[in-house]
Amino acid sequence: MALSNRIRGVSKAPVFLGLFLILCLAGPRGARAETGGADYAELKADAEAFFSDRVTPFIQTYCISCHQNRRPTQAGVNFSPALKDPSHAAFHDQWKRGVAKVKAHDMPPQGAPQPSDADREMFSDWIAKLKYLSEKDPGRFVIRRLTKTEYGNTLRDLFGVEPSIADGLPDEVSGEGYLNSLSPLQLEHYLTIADQVLDRIVAPEDAAPTEVQKRLFGEPAAPESGSREAARDIARSLAKKAYRRPPTEAELDVLVEAFELGRQNDLGYEPSLHLMLKGILVSPQFLFITPAGEVESSTGIVPLDGYQLASRLSYLLWATMPDDELMALADSGTLHEPEILEAQVKRLLMDRRSRALFDGFGAQWLGVGRLENQVFDPAVFPQMTPEMREAMYDEARLFFESIVRENRSVINFVDGDYTYLNETLASIYGLEETVAGPEMRRVQLSDGNRGGVLGMPGVLAATSFPNRTSAVKRGVWVLEQVLGDHVPSAPPNVPALEEQDQGTVANLSLRERTELHRTNAVCANCHQLLDPIGFGLENFDAIGRWRDRDGNGEEIDAAGELPGGERFSGPEDLKAIIAGRSDDLARNLVEKLLAYALGRRLEGYDEIVVDELMQVIAGDGYRMQTLVNAVVSSYPFTHRRIEEERSSNEKERSD
Amino acid sequence: MRKSALIDRRACLKGLGVSLALPLMDSMGWADTAKGQAYKPPVRLGFMYMPHGVIMDQFWPADAENFLSSPLPAFESLRPVLDQCLVMKGISGVPIAPFNGAPHALELSTWLTATLPAADKRSEIHISISADQIAANHVGAFTALPSLELATMPQNWKENQEGLNEGYYSHCSYRSPTQVVPAEINPRNVFNRLFREPERNGDGREATRANALDRSLLDIVLGGARDLRRTLPSSDQRKLDEYLDSVRSVERRIAAIEYRQKEAALEKAGVRASKRHASDSPPIEIKIPEGDKRSEYMQVMCDLNVLAFQTDTTRVSTYIGSRPNGASYPELGFSDQHHSQTHHQNRPGMVAKVAKITEFNIAQFAYMVKKMHGLREADGTLLDNCIMMWGSGLEDGNEHTRENLPFVVAGSGGGAIKTGRYLPDTKGNQGDLLTTLLACAGIPLDRPVGIATKQFEEIKA
Repeated sequence: MALSNRIRGVSKAPVFLGLFLILCLAGPRGARAETGGADYAELKADAEAFFSDRVTPFIQTYCISCHQNRRPTQAGVNFSPALKDPSHAAFHDQWKRGVAKVKAHDMPPQGAPQPSDADREMFSDWIAKLKYLSEKDPGRFVIRRLTKTEYGNTLRDLFGVEPSIADGLPDEVSGEGYLNSLSPLQLEHYLTIADQVLDRIVAPEDAAPTEVQKRLFGEPAAPESGSREAARDIARSLAKKAYRRPPTEAELDVLVEAFELGRQNDLGYEPSLHLMLKGILVSPQFLFITPAGEVESSTGIVPLDGYQLASRLSYLLWATMPDDELMALADSGTLHEPEILEAQVKRLLMDRRSRALFDGFGAQWLGVGRLENQVFDPAVFPQMTPEMREAMYDEARLFFESIVRENRSVINFVDGDYTYLNETLASIYGLEETVAGPEMRRVQLSDGNRGGVLGMPGVLAATSFPNRTSAVKRGVWVLEQVLGDHVPSAPPNVPALEEQDQGTVANLSLRERTELHRTNAVCANCHQLLDPIGFGLENFDAIGRWRDRDGNGEEIDAAGELPGGERFSGPEDLKAIIAGRSDDLARNLVEKLLAYALGRRLEGYDEIVVDELMQVIAGDGYRMQTLVNAVVSSYPFTHRRIEEERSSNEKERSD
Repeated sequence: MRKSALIDRRACLKGLGVSLALPLMDSMGWADTAKGQAYKPPVRLGFMYMPHGVIMDQFWPADAENFLSSPLPAFESLRPVLDQCLVMKGISGVPIAPFNGAPHALELSTWLTATLPAADKRSEIHISISADQIAANHVGAFTALPSLELATMPQNWKENQEGLNEGYYSHCSYRSPTQVVPAEINPRNVFNRLFREPERNGDGREATRANALDRSLLDIVLGGARDLRRTLPSSDQRKLDEYLDSVRSVERRIAAIEYRQKEAALEKAGVRASKRHASDSPPIEIKIPEGDKRSEYMQVMCDLNVLAFQTDTTRVSTYIGSRPNGASYPELGFSDQHHSQTHHQNRPGMVAKVAKITEFNIAQFAYMVKKMHGLREADGTLLDNCIMMWGSGLEDGNEHTRENLPFVVAGSGGGAIKTGRYLPDTKGNQGDLLTTLLACAGIPLDRPVGIATKQFEEIKA
């Protein structure tokens, strides 16, 4: 917030709108401190009154004549429904954009009646109150399919097979905005994989059954003794594991029917059980996380049942099915209790399976997930071997895990003074004399420029071009991934200075060239924020090695000043400034983790949830386990809103 | 870390000639020869994609007259079949407001839908059924696979533009407004999917039995899923409908495989079930490349597409030759990313790289259609009975313009399209083009595709 608030002060000239606007969007975050202990109902009432007394007349006077219920709407913006239901998530972006446009004097358009500066300011400031209009709401929640990773891990836990058995499934984007659909292609794979699982766990005919077989199906029965009833009992225990909740009687009927299908086709007792298991593995109850019982009301907000909560928790922290202990707590109906939930969060995080939280969330957050396939110019960086990339990824992972498992402050992500190295990676740090061998081990760092994600080779490499550094990419990365600001893409018709015409700028250093950004009003707004941060990290080359001179032999000048006047002379100083923004750091991580946990963007009431979580987290020194626990026990994580689909919308779209 | 998908690609498929020496399924939908008419092969429809647009003055032919005689370098690879091609200028893309900041998330997702995502549900997938899937709904029932979706790279690029669901970035096929169709990137899986019940050994009878059992099992599971559906709130029901739809589709596919197995058995027994033309070319051979050279990899995907069409295993395909962002072309001698080069500001070095990348992509498309041209089918070639569309979702990557989207159509769709021409002044949008191509493929349409308002009569024969 501090950075983006500051920039508002300096951008008075007419500037490229998008950049200006979106940087202003961080505005509402500025209001977060107000919530401390304040009565939410009071704030809500105040926001409502303000909306009807001030905002509504403003819209009606200056906006509605163009942006109303009439086709075509101007620029796709329609305030008629937004006035009736201002807090609806669908209008969130519209409000934010509208405020930004008004603030930038871009709207109302020239020639139309203009609001006074005071009114304009009132309208701009109002956006901070928007969140208080939201009803208490956990957000829409639809049953979801297991991701490719979750599916593979679940098969591992159920049958002891390698999760790689799922490798043939199509790749998918996970986390926030998770692509949660199912296609025939996937179903074909599920059918094939079910066969492969059976092939691996079932012993050949005449051979003794495998341990897994015995565990799943019990001791082998004499061929004729296996009855329908016995099959039903086995179905009950198999389905409870595979469906991650007790099956209903109707669901057991279906499975017994699958068993009978085998019998009718002259399969023996055991092979018929196998067919039944195959049926389980292609059932929606296995492939999706489904509620344990029928939901009473067809619409409304309900707490997750214990089994759903167990699954949600387990898939978040372990990317796999709940284990016996979680299932027992779901059985007893106590998982919702705060102390029990907290203890489980701690237990899950301390378990090595919580590596999944890094692979699924942390790697994406830090950007090191793309290192494996990122292109580096082999002529310039022959060091970027598969071993090096893996070591860089592991360094980030082990560092992340240390903060999680040692319950450190999340500020350590920036100011940590240790890391994990093996011999390969130590060469990047110039520590190859002290670290030998291929295993990663913890190393205490004495160089203040290193330590934390800003001086971490994997992160520095992931934000570089194939053959050199990118101050802009690094600046964007720090703002977005560390401080949680949103930086818009450069407009297409603005010269990318990274790719500047070599002829005219040949005599300038990269820094001088990039500084041209700031002489151009269109670019200046963002770049006066991005570039100093990026240049503050210029002492690290494109794969994270320390250097005093750049590729052209020019001396690196890593000193800079942020728009607010804070000065730094190099990475160590910059790290200290960023680490000082503890609230922004922690809030960014909460927002990203909550969005990941919910599998959707944050909106509306979520802002209030985050405000509340921040109180708790800040009150405990920003400790990581506290942060995870806050997310897991949050209202939207433990509840769901179910709703009838809005059919009117559907109709509108099909017109 | 995820293991590279390349490992599988290096594997070699063996024994292919044998398993494919099968009659094709003309009796399942090819023209009715029972009445003694000459059979007319079905029309196949294929789409191949390249992101980020082209270098305009190196793509658009100088004039209509010299289109065939002196093609630009971009079209050099197509020269042998240029008379089977149609190039059109003047076809605009969907205007992307209010998503002005999402040019790349929208170039692929609007390409075959000619529709924008729903603004109020932007974080979910909510767009409309794509042209290929409309076609698959009509002709998919005749073949073992309703449609085939291929891609060169994993479809997991993560980049948030305008709050749009990341899935929009790397998917062009939508079965319904809310359901993406993922693509296969592994040639071996594609091959298994097309021609073999995967991992199922043993003789034919056993395979048929296993298929029948699978189908019955799916029936039972489907019944259970319907029960479950009744207990869920309606938003969840929607999600489950995708599952139900997928199960039904797989059942139908297994039925088609069973049918083919029966046909094969009859053939073996000396009963000639096939009504194919005696002079038709035998199925082409597939060789999975050893290395990870992009051209070889794309060509094996093209081969699989050709084979799928040639054997009438499917009649509809999409091939996302490259995805928006994150792609580079080391094979061309430079490591820069395609996307960053397209913002070239008219600098010669970068312009040349983009032109080279475009040439490369068109060459892969040319490889595919030339192969089709070399295969005899009925009285002509396989290409004669195809409509193969190559294109991009932007005209100019530098400025993100969409005024004149680049499209090349190869094949006349059984004589429906008049090829061998450059139409410099086609007036309309990409929906019009998709609507026209579907119509030329004989797909009955109850409404136009996306923003279409008409058909391009001028491209028809």
